[in-house]
Amino acid sequence: MSNNAADREVILSIRHVDISFDTGNKKKKFVAVKDANFDIYKGETFALVGESGSGKTTLGRAILRINPCSAGEILFEGKRISGKISKEEDRNVVRSIQMIFQDPAASLNERATIEYCVSEGLYNFHLYDSEEDRIAKVDKALIDVGLLPEHKSRYPHEFSGGQRQRVGIARAMIMDPKFIVADEPISALDVSIRAQVLNLMNKLQAEKQLTYLFIAHDLSVVRFIADRIAVIHLGRIVEIADSETLFEYPLHPYTVSLLSAVPMPDPVVERTRRHKVYDPSVLDQSGAPAEMREIRPGHFVLATENELPKYEARIKKLEEELAQRTQ
Amino acid sequence: MEEKVLETRSDLFEFASFDEFESEHIAAPQYSYWKSVWRTFVKNKFTVAVSIVMIILVLFALIQPSVSGYDPLIAPNVTNPEMRFLRPSAEHIFGTDNVGNEVFDVVWAGARNSIIISFVCTAITMILGVTIGAIWGFSKKMDKWMLEVYNVVANVPFLLLAMILSYVMGAGMGTLIFVMCVTEWIFVAFFIRTQVMIIRDREYNLASKCLGTSTWTMIKNNILPYLISVIMTYVSRMIPSLISYEVFLSYMGLGLGVTKASLGRMISIYTSYMNGYPHLFWIPVIVLALLSISLYIVGQKLADAADPRTHM
Repeated sequence: MSNNAADREVILSIRHVDISFDTGNKKKKFVAVKDANFDIYKGETFALVGESGSGKTTLGRAILRINPCSAGEILFEGKRISGKISKEEDRNVVRSIQMIFQDPAASLNERATIEYCVSEGLYNFHLYDSEEDRIAKVDKALIDVGLLPEHKSRYPHEFSGGQRQRVGIARAMIMDPKFIVADEPISALDVSIRAQVLNLMNKLQAEKQLTYLFIAHDLSVVRFIADRIAVIHLGRIVEIADSETLFEYPLHPYTVSLLSAVPMPDPVVERTRRHKVYDPSVLDQSGAPAEMREIRPGHFVLATENELPKYEARIKKLEEELAQRTQ
Repeated sequence: MEEKVLETRSDLFEFASFDEFESEHIAAPQYSYWKSVWRTFVKNKFTVAVSIVMIILVLFALIQPSVSGYDPLIAPNVTNPEMRFLRPSAEHIFGTDNVGNEVFDVVWAGARNSIIISFVCTAITMILGVTIGAIWGFSKKMDKWMLEVYNVVANVPFLLLAMILSYVMGAGMGTLIFVMCVTEWIFVAFFIRTQVMIIRDREYNLASKCLGTSTWTMIKNNILPYLISVIMTYVSRMIPSLISYEVFLSYMGLGLGVTKASLGRMISIYTSYMNGYPHLFWIPVIVLALLSISLYIVGQKLADAADPRTHM
């Protein structure tokens, strides 16, 4: 992807967002996401990667207004969508931002037919002229995701995991959204059908100029689908970069250890692979508090003032190594 | 030699066509929820037999009294001592009682009132309880003060309330229905509230929220269909227990007045003839037991059949 970020249109910006939850103890709040700050450009796939409990789903749900932000704000197409907004704007946000869920078995109403599941959004916003129009739209949405119109009268439990996930995608797509939060859409699926769903998502993105926020923990998948990647650890975003840049020049120690954990389908490499354990004590926490600093155009890393030269040296070393290899 | 084996001729092969959509086809027959409920229900012979018994008992209790025209205030044979305390025979199926009335007529007239009261009460408490309980389970604000209301209402001694209300309002069918509904609905509402809370935060409800579904639609389409089975179980316990309640209150003299036929009052009067004429006591008790048990079993089996996990 290009690095000239300036001339690309920002669709969603997250500005210094904190998300916290009550713990029952009024004085102590659990901070799930702290000072998240990034932009997502129109038409790209932005991946949010991190381990379980790192706050990636929490942040995704904050965009859908399910989790309230305790500080900062979220802008969608320049308009604030976090906190209190008017009912009309809320409906607009619901229509424009849709979600694909992790577990296709849990995210479909098992007592409703596929027809109802897919038309639910149409009913809520009355997006159809007549009953025939609604059925035509449902048929088209099902065909778009590779299902058959005859599936309308079926119930979710009659479908396989991949088919159910595609019903979930059809349900989101029928709203004609601009932005989609995909919360680990393939981690509950069988390996054999993961590619099917990913390819479908890519196809729909190309057809409808969609923007994805792709939440995942599987780095090999992220490398395949994402244009840019943000790595999140314990509620803090530690590094943001173009997907290839991140894989070539991982800077933050957490990113390095995360990349070292990706299994390789090569027994020789796998045997010699050395896992790098993330040790937060290597971070230099002295000096100014850590914040996102742009070390190369489009490549941000969470660092204090004192740490910058270290990262600068590391990126230079990696660049030299790469230059030697290509010679 | 080897080269000959390896040699392939393209004209021997042709491309096989592959229909992508064919693999998506579901071969299983269409599934329909209510049809499957019915099929599961009638599959069990015992259930069918009990259902038939229940239907006969209920229909008999509803129809027979209007044929016999039994009225507790009129005792046509009270002056005829020969008609009193007759044992069951072909002529008098259940025998006659202390005032010369046919026990057969008395029992069905009493059973009819019991059935009407318990069905009406169940309907009222269920409609109130499920509606309020569904909103209660969804609204955190309402939960706070409804819990206090629940604590107060649930701790009112039922018998005391029944006594006071029947003295204040006068005995009768309306009073009895009111007495039984006035506290019962909150137990139903509390039960439904807990059930709603269990499934309220499941992911498919979150998905509905993301699609902009209103709370009402969510209760109607996402929550209540999941509760059919538990509501059915509740109803199947409630109808027989309310029949017993009516009998119990009437037995205590708090139920229907003397103008209405009542199983409870009959049993309480007949108890005094237990030694000489035990059939006077046992016949109404057995009819009551048969009615309660058959209603309970049919309700339970329906609840089981309503659970889609039994459909496979």
